[in-house]
Amino acid sequence: MKKFTFLAVALKNLKRKPFRSGILISAIAILVSLLIFAISFSISVGSSLKKSSDRLGADLIIVPVGARGFAEEFLLESKHTAFYMPKEMIKRVAAIEGIETLTHQTYLSSISGLCCDILPTRIIAFDPENDFIIKPWLQGSLGRPLQRGEAIAGFGTNENLGLGLLAVETTIFNNKFKIVGVLEQTGTGLDNALFMTEENLAAIIESGKSPLKKGEISIIFAKVKKGADPDYVGRVVEGSIVDVDVVARSNMGEKFLNVLADINKIFLISITLSSLLTIFLVWAIFSAIANERAKEIGIMRAIGAKESHITKLFFLEVLTLGIIGSLIGVAAGTLLAFWLVHTFTLIKTISAQLNLVHQLVIAVAGLILGSGICVGGALLPINRIKKMEPLLVIKEE
Amino acid sequence: MSQIEIIKLNKFYTVGDTIIPGVNEVSLNIEQGEFLSVVGHSGSGKTTLVSIVGGILRPTSGQVLYNGCDICELDDNGLSEYRNKKIGFMFQFASLLPILTATENVLLPALFSPDQQQAKDNAEKAQRCLELVGIGEKGLAYPSQLSGGQQRRVAIARALMNDPEIILADEPTGDLDEDTEREIMELFSRINEEQKVTIIFITHNLELARQAKKQIRMHQGIVEELAL
Repeated sequence: MKKFTFLAVALKNLKRKPFRSGILISAIAILVSLLIFAISFSISVGSSLKKSSDRLGADLIIVPVGARGFAEEFLLESKHTAFYMPKEMIKRVAAIEGIETLTHQTYLSSISGLCCDILPTRIIAFDPENDFIIKPWLQGSLGRPLQRGEAIAGFGTNENLGLGLLAVETTIFNNKFKIVGVLEQTGTGLDNALFMTEENLAAIIESGKSPLKKGEISIIFAKVKKGADPDYVGRVVEGSIVDVDVVARSNMGEKFLNVLADINKIFLISITLSSLLTIFLVWAIFSAIANERAKEIGIMRAIGAKESHITKLFFLEVLTLGIIGSLIGVAAGTLLAFWLVHTFTLIKTISAQLNLVHQLVIAVAGLILGSGICVGGALLPINRIKKMEPLLVIKEE
Repeated sequence: MSQIEIIKLNKFYTVGDTIIPGVNEVSLNIEQGEFLSVVGHSGSGKTTLVSIVGGILRPTSGQVLYNGCDICELDDNGLSEYRNKKIGFMFQFASLLPILTATENVLLPALFSPDQQQAKDNAEKAQRCLELVGIGEKGLAYPSQLSGGQQRRVAIARALMNDPEIILADEPTGDLDEDTEREIMELFSRINEEQKVTIIFITHNLELARQAKKQIRMHQGIVEELAL
């Protein structure tokens, strides 16, 4: 015979009303999955934004005035936008006190069928002479500088562009390009672009298929001198050159973070209401259980059960429900976060993945909340039933 | 010293503004190994008296000395231990837990006993108790699979599990047929004689009450006479 324990009695009690136990487990699971999803969503988006801006490797991003939002969309969300400013801006920015090095890029959006035989994508032309944005990811992938007539695909673009195998020839803005490699994963919007060197731009402009004009660039990335405050230097640049907007690294994705804060508030309200509802459900069900089993509790008390034994028995039931519900909730919430996170337009194109430590911490938080809410809801009924005088509940019909 | 000394015991129930005496100034001595029946009409205070002796009801005033120790002074834990180690209860209904098998029901008192919880031979002991009451083969049966008489036997086996010194039975044969009733009473007699366990049982049936070695009658909370 298996050892007869409190847990064995608790499990048998739960099995006697499987539907009711199922309802409680489901309620806890739904609550925990909502929590897991909300936390995963919030953390993954927040950390992805930070990682993306950090990985760009620049302290300041300088764009044409009014194009700040476009730049963030291009770099963080991989949106197809085009914005240009005169190339002489590079010299003006370089002259500002506190700026150490600069590089610039020019952005184009390919149009399928009209000029290109690839699916619509973003094309980034960079200057290999002063580049510090692409180079770190390019060295490992190609092992040599990119040549004229060559392009390299971002980590996530290969399949999206329908390029198939590498070393294929393709037409971009009426110019033949050979795809010679795939960039390492950056976790930024760069993963969804095609890269070429600036020397190819002249031929593209000549094709007349792009809105780009000679002597134009899209963006300047700047590193500030050691000890200089990027925010301060950024304000100086904006104050000195009225034709540009400046985004400091710390402010990258501000629009996102504001929206995210509002979404978090909605999640918080939803979780609070769901928690209260679940506590009420647990309270109602355990009140009913306590009334149903009053006589049994009385009998157990009569044969020597202490108040602590009754508490232990009910807590084991509650905890079992809470833990099962929470585990299901953790699994469901994690899957939801994995599958649904990219259906949100807001973060569709952001690389929003959590590492294992984050996932574990969130899972443990879900487990504690689910079990805690279950215990919290059952506390009053358990306290009431254990205090009843045995004879009175035994004789109650 | 008597095993149980009941001294000026009172228990009053309050219903609205009315105070109803359950037990009124009862004093009584019960010796170890006694086989005592308590008779009386409904509401005469039989169950109240036995419940106070068993520690499942606290009196309004008075003392119940168990081997010289006043159980009315014990806190909840002390009273629970007293019930667990010294008392075996049987009630006027089938008091088994429906979700547990016969063996598990018998094992319940051991579950609540710190000394017994770790004992490895609990299952064997439960089986011996079931055999003692004549249903050794029914250990795996659930209460719903047992007859009324068999359920009463399981309850007796459960009452014996922790080797109690006193068995308190509140109309234990109330809804049983005559044959089963007789068998249960014979079982009580045997346990009383062989194990020297004090047995106090409540009944309406005077015929049954006479099978006890000593009888008391209660009326309106007072012990009226000590012999029938």
